[in-house]
Amino acid sequence: MRGNAVSESPRPLEESPDEALYRPIEQTGPGFYWAAAGLLAIFFFGAYQYLRQFSLGLGVTGMNQPVTWGFYIINFVFFIGISHAGTLISAILRLNQAEWRRPITRMAEVITAIVLLIGGLHPIIDLGRPDRALNIFMWGRLQSPLLWDVMSITAYLAASTVYLYVPMIPDIAKLRDRGTRPRWLYEFLSWNWQGTPRQHQVLSRAMNLLMVLVIPVAVSVHTVISYIFAMTLEAGWHSTIFGPYFVAGAIFSGIACLMVVMIVFRKVYHFEAYLKEVHFANLAKLMLVMAVVWFYLTFSEYLTGFFGQEPAELDVIMYKFTGPYAFPFWLMVFLNFIVPVAILSRKRTRTIPWILVVSLGIVVGMWLERLIIVVPSLAVPYVPFPSHPYWPSLAEISIFAAAIAAFCLGFMAFAKFFPLISIWEIEEGRESAIRETSARIASYLPDDPEPSASDEEAVPEGAK
Amino acid sequence: MSKELSESGLRHRRWGMVIDLDRCTGCAACVAACKAENNVPEVSPEEAQMGRVMSWMRIARKEVAEGERASISMYPSLCQHCETAPCTWVCPVHATYKGIDGIVGQTYPRCIGCRYCMAACPYTVKVFNWSEPRWEEALREHTNPDVSLRYKGVVEKCTFCSHRLLKARDDAAVEGRDVREEEYQPACVEVCPAKAMLFGDLEDEDSRVATAARSPRGHQLLEELGTEPAVHYLDERERRV
Amino acid sequence: MIYHKWITALQFLSIMLMWSFAAAILIFIPWLVAVSLRWNDALNWTLAISLVMTPVYLTVAGTLTYVFIGLRRGAPKDGDQ
Repeated sequence: MRGNAVSESPRPLEESPDEALYRPIEQTGPGFYWAAAGLLAIFFFGAYQYLRQFSLGLGVTGMNQPVTWGFYIINFVFFIGISHAGTLISAILRLNQAEWRRPITRMAEVITAIVLLIGGLHPIIDLGRPDRALNIFMWGRLQSPLLWDVMSITAYLAASTVYLYVPMIPDIAKLRDRGTRPRWLYEFLSWNWQGTPRQHQVLSRAMNLLMVLVIPVAVSVHTVISYIFAMTLEAGWHSTIFGPYFVAGAIFSGIACLMVVMIVFRKVYHFEAYLKEVHFANLAKLMLVMAVVWFYLTFSEYLTGFFGQEPAELDVIMYKFTGPYAFPFWLMVFLNFIVPVAILSRKRTRTIPWILVVSLGIVVGMWLERLIIVVPSLAVPYVPFPSHPYWPSLAEISIFAAAIAAFCLGFMAFAKFFPLISIWEIEEGRESAIRETSARIASYLPDDPEPSASDEEAVPEGAK
Repeated sequence: MSKELSESGLRHRRWGMVIDLDRCTGCAACVAACKAENNVPEVSPEEAQMGRVMSWMRIARKEVAEGERASISMYPSLCQHCETAPCTWVCPVHATYKGIDGIVGQTYPRCIGCRYCMAACPYTVKVFNWSEPRWEEALREHTNPDVSLRYKGVVEKCTFCSHRLLKARDDAAVEGRDVREEEYQPACVEVCPAKAMLFGDLEDEDSRVATAARSPRGHQLLEELGTEPAVHYLDERERRV
Repeated sequence: MIYHKWITALQFLSIMLMWSFAAAILIFIPWLVAVSLRWNDALNWTLAISLVMTPVYLTVAGTLTYVFIGLRRGAPKDGDQ
């Protein structure tokens, strides 16, 4: 099927060794369009459900008293949590000069940008009066953790969009030079990039600054989201561990989502040469570490609550351990800790099919974690209250499905216009990284002693 | 807020309530009176089953241990109008706030329906309009004109019938004086057949309400949280010795 | 030539987009301070958060502008745009 055709200007005489990375942009197959159609259908159904909710009110959801927050807030935390994949991983790996990051960073950054937009919309979806959403700007109170959220999510959105765009400029310039259509888009977005040394300097300076800035902003985002819960007095929420807990959980779920995305697009676009087993193995090791960290924090949280035996706190904990939420709770522990540790700690099972299974499990498990944080504390109030279990309604489920569809669509749309793997960084890796890395590693080793006048080996002092 | 009060020259007051649980029979006349006075909408049986009853006041059941036996006690649960109200900390748009004379107010036109205050309230006393509220024909004709009718998507709660306070203040201002305690009583207090509820100025040490609040039978809900509610409960079983 | 002018205009528009976003935030924050002053409500929080967020937005917008200007300056001077 004809996708983006090559325009009048001549292609480079020799084909780039990275032709595979241009193919998704320049040759889109029918599968792309079928998938997009299916996802759009899901999206539009969810949008219709939202319009229905807009006109009828939040009664179409399953929320009630005392469970006044449900799917929308759970998914809000879930999606924003995944956003930590991108920018944090990309920034941290770049800062550490980890060479295996090269094919990963672009996809990670795209995940962040898309998921922030989707997650950031969820509090609006949750509002009883979304037509008054502007009240937040007119009458906002910065004492409210929701306002902190508004501030930090918009800051992260700005920072991560810029952090996605700036390293993409050289790739956009490559597309421009190949004459890929639409030409005006790539000419405009490439911002006069010609690859001159001066421009390289500007780019690397900007990237260095951004990758340092983006880390505290990203950490602040999920910390502030955790403060929505931690700054109330509710049992199970008012806990000092929430900040680090949420950030660790976000990084964890983010890496898992990144893995799934990488594996899927590797298969679909045949990136096997670029996303090799070693990349997945390294990320899997990171994910394993995060699984242990997550378990440590979860364990601390519940042990503290359980040991203190404070009645309200204990009610909530037992609701999760043995009460109505026992199944999701133990499933969460199984998917987030037992499965990753069992499978990823052995080299033999640290292979792509196993990693896919484990990552999907973690994505589900981390969603369950958000469910378990939000609902039980509300379902078990301090005061005696008739119990009303929370079940999500069709509206909530279809809006969740629509959000996932929107994520996939956003990713596919990006893949249609921009390279999913950073082409210039791969080229840079081929040309200079090996040399630079060898030099760097050599610099860690002890310096050679002073050579003697001839080229013989230096003789140690005193020995003869 | 105290700044407003001192500017208007009125004495600093804190309206509060004492409910004598040893007199309360659990008849829920207060609940009915509150609904009628404040135009609280009704819900269908299905919605009630789901847990969406719209009631600013409710009779809560509490199990009390007495040695080896347990007994059930009931208490009217309403907004406690806390001195340091967690709901007011978290509202993003200043729709719930600490208002005149310590009453925690609710501004319906500004509420965006985020329900954060509902999640933050440890007493679970706030209710939400999940759909467009409706009243049965007969009730619709007899709504209280002093209380605004709400609409879907906003939070509401007990206001200590502050519309009655505003009316009393207006009347008193005409005569150039302050509101007298007996001129302002919420509907629930007024209607209680067991005379179990007292309402007045907790700051006035000589008032009946302040005296009753100091009783050794007196306690407050969730005192350990430090919210400093304006509602005191008298209960022989909780007598401080 | 017209084509290139349009491209340049779009590029300027894109950097303006970033600055209008930053400007919106930089107007929003003092407005919130004013609201909190009017209602005598949580002024300390408002000021603290404003002091933290303002430099973040300025840095992000500033970095993007640096890239924009730097790339324009660093481009070779011949007609190859």
